[in-house]
Amino acid sequence: MTGPRLVSILRQGSHLIASVHTALDDTQMTAFQHDLVDRIGRDRSRGVVIDVAALDVLDSFATRTLRTIAEVARLRGAVTVVVGIQPDVAFAMVSLGMDTGALHTALDLEEGLALLDRIAGGRRPAVGARGGPA
Amino acid sequence: MVRRIVAARVDDAAMADDLVQETLVRVLAAAGRVDAGMLEPYAIATARNVVATAWRDRDRQRRNQHRVVDLDTPDPPDTELLASEERAAVAEALARLGDRDREALLAHEVSGRDTRSLAAELGSTPGAVAAQLHRARARLRVEYLLARDHTEPPTDRCRPVLLALSSGDRRRQREVEAGRHLLECDACAGLSQPLLDRAPPREDAVRIPVDGDGDVVAARQAARELAARLGCFSRTDLTLIATAVSEVTRNIVKFAGSGEVVVEVLEEPRTGVRVTARDTGPGIPDVERALQDGYSTYAGLGLGLPGARRLMDEFAIASEVGRGTTVTMTRWCGER
Repeated sequence: MTGPRLVSILRQGSHLIASVHTALDDTQMTAFQHDLVDRIGRDRSRGVVIDVAALDVLDSFATRTLRTIAEVARLRGAVTVVVGIQPDVAFAMVSLGMDTGALHTALDLEEGLALLDRIAGGRRPAVGARGGPA
Repeated sequence: MVRRIVAARVDDAAMADDLVQETLVRVLAAAGRVDAGMLEPYAIATARNVVATAWRDRDRQRRNQHRVVDLDTPDPPDTELLASEERAAVAEALARLGDRDREALLAHEVSGRDTRSLAAELGSTPGAVAAQLHRARARLRVEYLLARDHTEPPTDRCRPVLLALSSGDRRRQREVEAGRHLLECDACAGLSQPLLDRAPPREDAVRIPVDGDGDVVAARQAARELAARLGCFSRTDLTLIATAVSEVTRNIVKFAGSGEVVVEVLEEPRTGVRVTARDTGPGIPDVERALQDGYSTYAGLGLGLPGARRLMDEFAIASEVGRGTTVTMTRWCGER
């Protein structure tokens, strides 16, 4: 990766906090997906928070990538929460017709971590029971 | 006497003065070599020569103004060669104009006749003459470029497209589908560059060439910026527009590999932005199906086209198998 970091992945206890700092193109988005899934295995994480507050657009590809990450993470035993979706971005995602039912979401980082503690904190849960057609 | 001769041929007083001076200098310089009795005819001949030279220089300068491409101080050895090629190209381009166009153009540009006197002579109006001159110049530029490169346009559609670009007539450019043609025709894409460079940069439109993933982001950001400048879209509107642009641009990258996205501001019938996404890729065999939710030929969500349609106020798609796809979509200010 050259230039300023586009994404940072930090470890916090048994959780990972992944922040996207700037708009990513599809290739960068896919690279992010691979990095994150790698880290989940390496750090034996139980929860992942993905902060997308910096993104001004979440189009079909970005949404699909988030869903894929969540699903892959679930299969690897981690819960994923997406936080920081801007109100207008949320509106655009709905208008676009994207099915995001399988994604856990929270308003911001704090709420996201609290949610993770609730669902992943006690025992390793059966998250994603709603299964999503990723 | 010298002044009379010069003034009869030159209507610009300042220029006439200069030429009179130059003539006198030459006559004085030659005074020692010429018989006293022959000095008068010598002066007359010199004056004529000086005037003729001045005209030639001025001609050349005027023609230079019409060169679409300027030669910037090339290497001295080939200067002369290049200049002669330039002259040949300009001469050939002039020869290819219609007689009426050429005469009008030369009368106006070389002889310095104004449109009013030309109009009176032709039994026309100054406005009509100006329009004719405008068309003639546009054609001259195109013919000059063709003559310079010693090429003939490869297809019947090339000349109309190049002419429309040369004249800067946007309606005409749309009629002849200029943008699409430039994607298809390499010859025209090359030839048109100086014509496009000539046009003043448009404040109200951006064109984003699309070649890869990164351009998806570039296109949606450019669209958002342009739309934001209008001041009538809410933040949500801007995001909807950017998302729609993202979807159609990704389709270009996925299916055609390359193409272009043009975002322009509309004033009529209302204020809004129009996005045109164009490629010369494989085309969509079944447009109806492609517009249905969940139809996808790659592992996508199948939301690209139908989703983009929902995000915009107007949406049109024209696709031809083997020729490519053009998506045009518009969002108006103050709807919804």
